[in-house]
Amino acid sequence: MVLEILDIKKSFGEREVLHGISFAVSSGRAMGFLGRNGAGKSTTIRCLMDVFRPDSGRFLLDSVPFQPRKMKIGYLPEERGMYQKNEVLAQLVYFARLRGANQTDALKSANHWVDYFQLGDYKRKKLETLSKGNQQKIQIAQAFLNEPDILILDEPFSGLDPVNAQVFKDAIKSFVKEGRLVIFSSHQMGYVEEVCDDVTLIHEGRILLSGDLSDIKLEEGRSKLFLSLLDEGDSSLPEIMHRAFPGILITPAHGGFILDTQGEDRQGDLLKWLSAQDLVIRRFGLYEPSLTDIFISKVGEQA
Amino acid sequence: MKDFRTVFLYELKTQLTKRSAIVTTVVIMVILLAVSSIPRLISLFDASGQPSVSGGPSSVSAGAIPDAGFVIGDHELQGLLAPVLGEVVSRPYASRDEMVRALKDKQIKVGFVINKDLSWEAVYQDRSMADSSDAALGGILSRVKRERMLLDLGLTLENFSAIETAQAEGTVTVMGRSGMENYFVSFAMMLAVYMMVLLYGNGVSSVIAREKDSRTMEILITSTRPSSLILGKVAASGAAAVIMFGALVLAGLAGFQLNKATYPPMVLGMFSSSLTPGFIWTYVFFSLFGFILYLFLFAALGSTVSKMEDLSSATALVQFLFIAAYLLATLSAQMPDSTLAVIGSVIPFTSVMVMPLRGAMTTVPWGQLILSGLLMLLTVAFFAFLSIKIYRWGSLNYGNKTKLSRIVREALRRA
Repeated sequence: MVLEILDIKKSFGEREVLHGISFAVSSGRAMGFLGRNGAGKSTTIRCLMDVFRPDSGRFLLDSVPFQPRKMKIGYLPEERGMYQKNEVLAQLVYFARLRGANQTDALKSANHWVDYFQLGDYKRKKLETLSKGNQQKIQIAQAFLNEPDILILDEPFSGLDPVNAQVFKDAIKSFVKEGRLVIFSSHQMGYVEEVCDDVTLIHEGRILLSGDLSDIKLEEGRSKLFLSLLDEGDSSLPEIMHRAFPGILITPAHGGFILDTQGEDRQGDLLKWLSAQDLVIRRFGLYEPSLTDIFISKVGEQA
Repeated sequence: MKDFRTVFLYELKTQLTKRSAIVTTVVIMVILLAVSSIPRLISLFDASGQPSVSGGPSSVSAGAIPDAGFVIGDHELQGLLAPVLGEVVSRPYASRDEMVRALKDKQIKVGFVINKDLSWEAVYQDRSMADSSDAALGGILSRVKRERMLLDLGLTLENFSAIETAQAEGTVTVMGRSGMENYFVSFAMMLAVYMMVLLYGNGVSSVIAREKDSRTMEILITSTRPSSLILGKVAASGAAAVIMFGALVLAGLAGFQLNKATYPPMVLGMFSSSLTPGFIWTYVFFSLFGFILYLFLFAALGSTVSKMEDLSSATALVQFLFIAAYLLATLSAQMPDSTLAVIGSVIPFTSVMVMPLRGAMTTVPWGQLILSGLLMLLTVAFFAFLSIKIYRWGSLNYGNKTKLSRIVREALRRA
């Protein structure tokens, strides 16, 4: 199953907020949808869920128009909300039934996910009586109802403590393992890096990059080396090294230096030179950027 | 259809299990049972041996003026008043001063000085707002005075009674509707519609506004079609109202059946002449569809607000419209054939109450009934469509208040 987002444009009044964005997501993979506040993540998701109608562009699922209400989709909106004055289990069953389950399956699924998120004692309680964190878990549980084929989550980690975040990550990983398609937007790069196979980065309504996270890291780290010394206080090294290797860009980062060889294969020369400098090397090797590095680097370029 | 059923059942269950709704319904049922039992209670009271007005025109219970003392002009007058005012006048006070002392000692609540010519003075220590002892005595003495005058003219008490009760015999034939007899029942039924529309109209707008306020709406509209949601909610509110109204009608009917034997014939006549099949059909049709029409209006307006606190101002327009319909209906009850009443009974927003009331008061031409019925059905269909569009519009729009005209324009443009 491949979900394609093709050239989506969306304006509010005179202001265009999505400028023809395109990317694709495959089943059996989780995709992290990243961007700064106001970049267009929630608008894209709302267009995908048919909450907003895009001005142009298409959503295709396996090359046919995507119709969210005809699919088994779990959706967690950015703006959370459920019936505060109704019982937890009753409203989860209601949502499951609206998404096509019969009464028996709806009840079974609601019970399963409430238990999964360790909220079994609150099934008959009104939602408003639960703590904020537990309400958040119930809202996440509603997205998992009916074991959807596609899971679309807008900022799912906000408000979750590390223990609950781990429970949630496990649920996502198990969904992906079962060959389902997962998209979630987040600001929390650590979680995305941990859970996602693919990432898409959106900035001011334009896609800056999209693809396999490992490939992106490899690409972003290409021709870059990382050097870390035991004596971190040696601030003269960049200058000395630059004199020896004028073509290499040296940037301090992560307690060491990123050495950009500008596409040239200088690893051997550098190693020889470093050995001759009588320096105690803690680490020297290929540089693999973190998602945060890539995000800051890409968004920074655009700023 | 399946989703409509799911929404309908969920909303209906939510409404019917609300503690406030159950308590209100039970309390009103008890009140209805009590009110319908009033004639029986009165008859029980009458049968309990309490003295009451009886006998000829001059016979009045002494109990009509309890705790009273008298100073009476002479023995002859005392004898004349004894059958009218009872034993108490056989023990009059010797003087006004003695009676005043008894008043101050609180032996009596009111004292009367009755002179030979039947002029009188009432003396109170304190007089409560509701005390009408002096008016009662005034009435009795006036009657005695009239009798005395009649006797002076040579007429007997029997002559007087015959003259006083003589009536010209006549019969009344109403070929159409009798407004006098039908007014009470039809007005009571109109009040029931008034309460249902305001109670459940505000209820449905609150449900939708709360969904929007709590952001539940986004989950709902991504799970099913807006039409299933709005139609299910309106149908559930309508059904909840019908169930509650049905429970009240049942309580009223049970009370009526249990106490029918004690009802005055006039009351029974009012029910039998009002509740004709024609009136019931007109009432059910216009009340039901008018009620649904207002539910759609309230539902649509509920979806235009972002916060609960804005709801009352958003629904004010439709509340004013409905109150205007109520006022027009009361006016139409007085003048059921006036141009205003005819127009009011054709326009769907007002015909909900005006047409049933007109139907009870006068014979409404078939043409007007059919025209009004068709307009009602078309308007309900149009506002059902519009409320779905406005609901969908509302699900996308949060924040600043928007003019209703613009909302309608934008909602229809997206259609």
